[in-house]
Amino acid sequence: MTNFEVSLNGKRIATQAATLQALLLERGFDMKSAFACAINHGFVPRPQWPERSLQGGDRIDVVTPITGG
Amino acid sequence: MNNSIAHGSPWTVGGKTLSSRFFLGTSHYPSPQVLGDAVRASGTEVLTVGLRRLQPESGGGASFWQRIQALGCHVLPNTAGCHSAGEAITLAQMAREIFGTTWIKLEVIGDDYTLQPDTVATLEAATALAKDGFDVFAYTTDDLVMAQRLHGAGCAAVMPWAAPIGTGRGPLNPFALETMRRRLPDAVLIVDAGLGRPSHAAQVMELGFDAVLLNTAVAQAGDPVRMARAFADGVAAGRAACESTPMPERAAAQASTATVGMPFWHGA
Repeated sequence: MTNFEVSLNGKRIATQAATLQALLLERGFDMKSAFACAINHGFVPRPQWPERSLQGGDRIDVVTPITGG
Repeated sequence: MNNSIAHGSPWTVGGKTLSSRFFLGTSHYPSPQVLGDAVRASGTEVLTVGLRRLQPESGGGASFWQRIQALGCHVLPNTAGCHSAGEAITLAQMAREIFGTTWIKLEVIGDDYTLQPDTVATLEAATALAKDGFDVFAYTTDDLVMAQRLHGAGCAAVMPWAAPIGTGRGPLNPFALETMRRRLPDAVLIVDAGLGRPSHAAQVMELGFDAVLLNTAVAQAGDPVRMARAFADGVAAGRAACESTPMPERAAAQASTATVGMPFWHGA
């Protein structure tokens, strides 16, 4: 497989991950943690992570709970 | 509720019945311990939380989220920091999955200096989210017509500011807030942002607002735990006053003590 570039939380990275779930595992995210994902500003529900394919240039955001007012 | 604070009769918002009329934010406390103590002192049943980018090495916000869950309150996630309807809608969808709630505190900022909400984008997002099954708590200004539009769009609560976020200046335009309450008698109205002192909370509760939401005034107080209790008392006092029908103002003085039988009365 060849590397391609995506943006993960605003940082450009090279990856071979074919799916969102593969990317999260590759980057060391704890899959049991409370977090949610969006690709190109569109929400991707957790059940879709294993099948959601990635393309070069995709912008992936991963968010988690923090304090808030 | 963790503490016995009389906030009047139970009330309902977003499908949930609450006893407390005091929503509390979770930011800017000196420590997690103080946050927990302040929450317990406040008697609040609703805590606001946010979402931010996760770095995998940081643990996924697990410890914060576990501490919040242990407090036993309803969670109201916000869309703070969003600058467009699209961003807010996406973040709301992410919050619904993480927190397992349809509640969302909708914030779309229009001006970074004043943090004044972009009410046009807020209305656009509120309309879409309400149609998608969210219970939208819409942060807005004290503009009456926008509040009417947000209520008409199906928001669970309309939340006008008293003053810009974090200023602690109290209600800058009490007339606008009073008018909003009078013109929207059936809407759930919660004053969100700008309250600095318990007397501010009492003031808006006297006007008939259903609840108040604040963060900085408690978290940044010299003694956040004691201030949380003081705000709870202010909310309770204001609500009790509202339900007790305050006396009308008069133009002329009227003696409280009877004048009949007054010794040395010079009239007779």
